[in-house]
Amino acid sequence: MQSTIPPTETGREALRLFKENRGPLAMLLALILFPFFVALLDGQGPTAVLNNEIGNARFLQGLLIEIFILAIYALSYDLILGITGLLSFGHAMFFAVGAYLTGIAFKSFGWGVGPTLAAVIVAGIVQALLFGLVLPRVKGITFALVTLGFASVFEIIVKSNEMVAYTGADVGLQGVVVPAAWLNTSNERFRLYLIVLFFTFFVYLVYRRFVDSPTGRVCIATRENEGRAQMLGYNTFYFKLTALILSSITAAMAGFFHTVHQPIVSPAVAGLGWTVAALLMILMGGIGTLSGALVGAAIFRLLQFYLERWFGGNATFLIGLVYVLLVMFVPYGVVGTWQARRLDIQRGRERLLRLLHLRP
Amino acid sequence: MADDIILETRNLRREFGALVAVNNVSVRVKAGSFHSIIGPNGAGKTTFFNLLSGTLKPTAGQVFFKGKEITHLPVHRAVHLGIGRSFQITNLFPNLTVMENIRLACQAMGRDNFRLFRSHRAFRQYEERAWEIMGKVGLQDKALMLARALPHGDQRKLELGMILAPDPQLLLLDEPTAGMASEQVPELIALIREIQTSGKKTIILVEHNMNVVMRVSDTITVMHYGEVLAEGTPAEISANETVQKAYLGALYE
Repeated sequence: MQSTIPPTETGREALRLFKENRGPLAMLLALILFPFFVALLDGQGPTAVLNNEIGNARFLQGLLIEIFILAIYALSYDLILGITGLLSFGHAMFFAVGAYLTGIAFKSFGWGVGPTLAAVIVAGIVQALLFGLVLPRVKGITFALVTLGFASVFEIIVKSNEMVAYTGADVGLQGVVVPAAWLNTSNERFRLYLIVLFFTFFVYLVYRRFVDSPTGRVCIATRENEGRAQMLGYNTFYFKLTALILSSITAAMAGFFHTVHQPIVSPAVAGLGWTVAALLMILMGGIGTLSGALVGAAIFRLLQFYLERWFGGNATFLIGLVYVLLVMFVPYGVVGTWQARRLDIQRGRERLLRLLHLRP
Repeated sequence: MADDIILETRNLRREFGALVAVNNVSVRVKAGSFHSIIGPNGAGKTTFFNLLSGTLKPTAGQVFFKGKEITHLPVHRAVHLGIGRSFQITNLFPNLTVMENIRLACQAMGRDNFRLFRSHRAFRQYEERAWEIMGKVGLQDKALMLARALPHGDQRKLELGMILAPDPQLLLLDEPTAGMASEQVPELIALIREIQTSGKKTIILVEHNMNVVMRVSDTITVMHYGEVLAEGTPAEISANETVQKAYLGALYE
């Protein structure tokens, strides 16, 4: 009897969701299998991954965890800059608050993972509301400068000698011990890898949903023409604030994982350079595309890592060169340019196939 | 005070530094009427419109809508009271589709603006309403084009559609025919006329095209140097000597 009943509303919805997200799901599966694949290539056998054996597979997992954390951070910046059109120069603070709070809670207060996570989320909301205080008063570049001001104050506090017992001042927070053995990056690398991977995937899907929701649509309208959005009857302040809160919680969560993964928090993550890193990632990936933030984070970290490994001290120069080339030839970022040129690329490929007599 | 006055201004004044753009303007607009505001360039018509719609705040004076003061109302509230406003310079979401432009205008009137994690496609009512509006202004066949890709005349229609979406009682139209090819003007004016008569709406129109104004208006207010020079029916205005000297004279001499 049961089988003759047509699929329920929830069933159909689930199927639709699955079809819509086939690309990201395939990516997720590939990334889950990736460490095993590397282990096999190294002749270690798949159990090496589960047993946390030293080797390429373990090392690359660490690098990928860093990329995932950067991707979460870049996504959060894309939401306010690329989608909502808010230029903030204080985004590093969103990340650094999460990172430092986690470190201090673990090290100085001896908190567990649960309470620390809760505190990170609360702090994320509070700092978004702080930015929200100035949101209705300043726009555009002025907002950027005011947020830079907030972030600078935070950076000064973190680096100050009065706070040295908690933040480690200029040296940064060192020797943070994650209080949960199951979350330890050295002993449980593959588990942390999966947790951060799933969280990145989750954030990406939630963001995609948000951008497609009525609220997200108004955020896009605000970016396109804020005055007109107001004239249509939207109080744009609340939409910008919603995006800011969502972004801030996400960035703080990225900070949390950052501290869990590498138990050192450098004050560099509170500086303007860290905001610029987020900007670079979404520019390279494609601003306002969401998936571009993921691509951008991967390019950013891989470039940095491999160029430094191959060229040592000259890497910075080469990285700069690559950025210039990317801006010149892929001005809308990898994903952005691909989306804009998709038709041209397709047409070009078909012409090529015809030339080669592979297609009539 | 008859309650068929939908909009009233009392001694409205706006200064930009030393310049008085709008000076002591008191106007009453009857509900259901077609009220035009004319005047030479720089007469303060657009500033007056900005004061009515809340984009600018007056230096002095008050604005009443249906007997309620709206002088200091935030911009985003005006639509919810039933005031729609178009712009002299086309003001759209250029990178969004025609459909999305109008759909956003429809969504603003609903209560689903803070449904964060459901697709906007789940809220069919706004799309259906937008489709209906697109039919009214004749843009259905261009629904999926980007607003910036539309020809100018269609952009003006889209703009009209965006004001019509919330079904306002009062439409403030700032030179809706600006920049349009002259053969397209009668079509748009006929459309505006039809909207007014079929929907029992009040229209305040700023327009440069004298033929249009004289033909469609119930009442005309003439502005000159920020002040009201004369007010009356089209016949009265064309017979008014001061107006002829100040405005028509300057144009036709």
